[in-house]
Amino acid sequence: MFIAFYRASKFAVQNFWRNIWLSIMTVSILILTLLSINVLLTLNVVTDRAIGYVEQRVDVSVYFYETVTEEQLTSVVSYLRTLTQVKDVQVVTADEALVRFQEQHQGDEEILQSLNEYGGNPFGSTLIVQAYNVDDFDFIISALDHPDYQEWIREKDFSNYQDIINSIEESTQRVRWFGYGLSALFLLITALIVFNTVRMGIFIHREEIGIMRLVGASSWFIRSPFLLEAIFYSFLATILAGALLYPILLQVEPKMDAYFGGSTGIIAYFVQNGLWIFGGQFILLSLLNMLATSFAMRRYLKI
Amino acid sequence: MIRCKNISKIYHPDIVALKNVSLHIQPGEFVSIVGQSGTGKTTLAKLLFAEERPTKGVIEIGGWDISKIPDRDIPVLRRQIGVVFQDFKLLQKKTVAENVAFALEVSGERPKRIAEVVPQVLRIVGLGDRAHRYPNQLSGGEQQRVVIARALVHRPKIFVADEPTGNLDTINTREIIDLLLRINEFGTTVVLVTHNRDVVNALKKRVITIDHGEIVSDVEEGRYRI
Repeated sequence: MFIAFYRASKFAVQNFWRNIWLSIMTVSILILTLLSINVLLTLNVVTDRAIGYVEQRVDVSVYFYETVTEEQLTSVVSYLRTLTQVKDVQVVTADEALVRFQEQHQGDEEILQSLNEYGGNPFGSTLIVQAYNVDDFDFIISALDHPDYQEWIREKDFSNYQDIINSIEESTQRVRWFGYGLSALFLLITALIVFNTVRMGIFIHREEIGIMRLVGASSWFIRSPFLLEAIFYSFLATILAGALLYPILLQVEPKMDAYFGGSTGIIAYFVQNGLWIFGGQFILLSLLNMLATSFAMRRYLKI
Repeated sequence: MIRCKNISKIYHPDIVALKNVSLHIQPGEFVSIVGQSGTGKTTLAKLLFAEERPTKGVIEIGGWDISKIPDRDIPVLRRQIGVVFQDFKLLQKKTVAENVAFALEVSGERPKRIAEVVPQVLRIVGLGDRAHRYPNQLSGGEQQRVVIARALVHRPKIFVADEPTGNLDTINTREIIDLLLRINEFGTTVVLVTHNRDVVNALKKRVITIDHGEIVSDVEEGRYRI
């Protein structure tokens, strides 16, 4: 069994070298397929990080009327802190809000003059509420509709952040669908290229195959080099795709990190999940190639 | 050893290659099958090693009905039947020894056994000193001897030679026929398909004559009579 496997592997490697240009073309297409799949994976990681980045900064600003007293504000803060969904509540008093406003519009004489003309502090206190999970904001907002507090609250501001998240998800979903389409197209081309490579291989080795049949080689032995060659293509393509992807990610990751102001961990993701990612891609590609090879053999290899 | 009962072979749509052929070949016999071109000799040879299947009738090899042999059993049959053709069917990129070893390699034989058997059979066919030459460095007769060596490595019980001397001159023809006789002396049944009158007449062995797909004569010590 081992000897037969060794010899079939030897014939598979011979097939590979004898049609080296065809083999290079086949492996190149497989690499493109794997790269498109890996770009999709990278996009998923970046999207997750982007959404996480936005989510970390998501909060609800609860604006109170100027008439609300400090005790009333404290009671709302206490109530919010009893909610398990709430991570933190930050209080911005009316005076702090005024100072912040003045600082923000320091150079804008017109606005500052309008503020002076108003004659007092037009701002009320504000609570900045952070949640553990972005999905909990709907609950927190509805909790603030409590009849005891409802009449103190002028406005609750959350919708902008949700729009940003929705926008990220929508645009990445579009890119993702494009990636799925591109990967599917590459997979189809891969199957066709492998089919053609095997067809050519059978044609080139027809004399050898004829002699094998004549001298009593089993049909398994005649077929197996072509199947092993398909696995060999997949293995080589997976290794080369990984080798090409790594320097690309080395270039891309610092730019992503700078953009998000922290580590996106793209390379770390590939390192941690490398066995599953590349192992899975190798198995998927091998199965696809063996299927294409089987079709080609059924069509062209008369044993 | 070989028993054919009423075998017919009809190629699509209605070309009759063999018609109700029945014959019986004993173990260790040397039988020449003769006839003009297109009379069905090669078809009969191909039926014996399951390259073709009969449209009708039964073929038994050593009691094994091969007329409806499943594909998976064909390699087992072919390791028991040595086959030689007019066109040598040698791999030009392999040496003589490699060509012979190839038959054992593809059958899963161990390397040690291959190393033992290949020089032995090359000596039997008189090519012990040509082991490392390539087919294009050999004469036609030598190439045919390589093919015979390759067919012998499995120690077949039956040897089917389809026009083995068709491409050879008189001297090489004589050498190949002598080799087949030697193989027959070892106890191997030899079925020689030929239309070489001189070969058949010199052999003085059993001759089956086929004409238009039918056996027209079967003589124990026959001559070529067409």
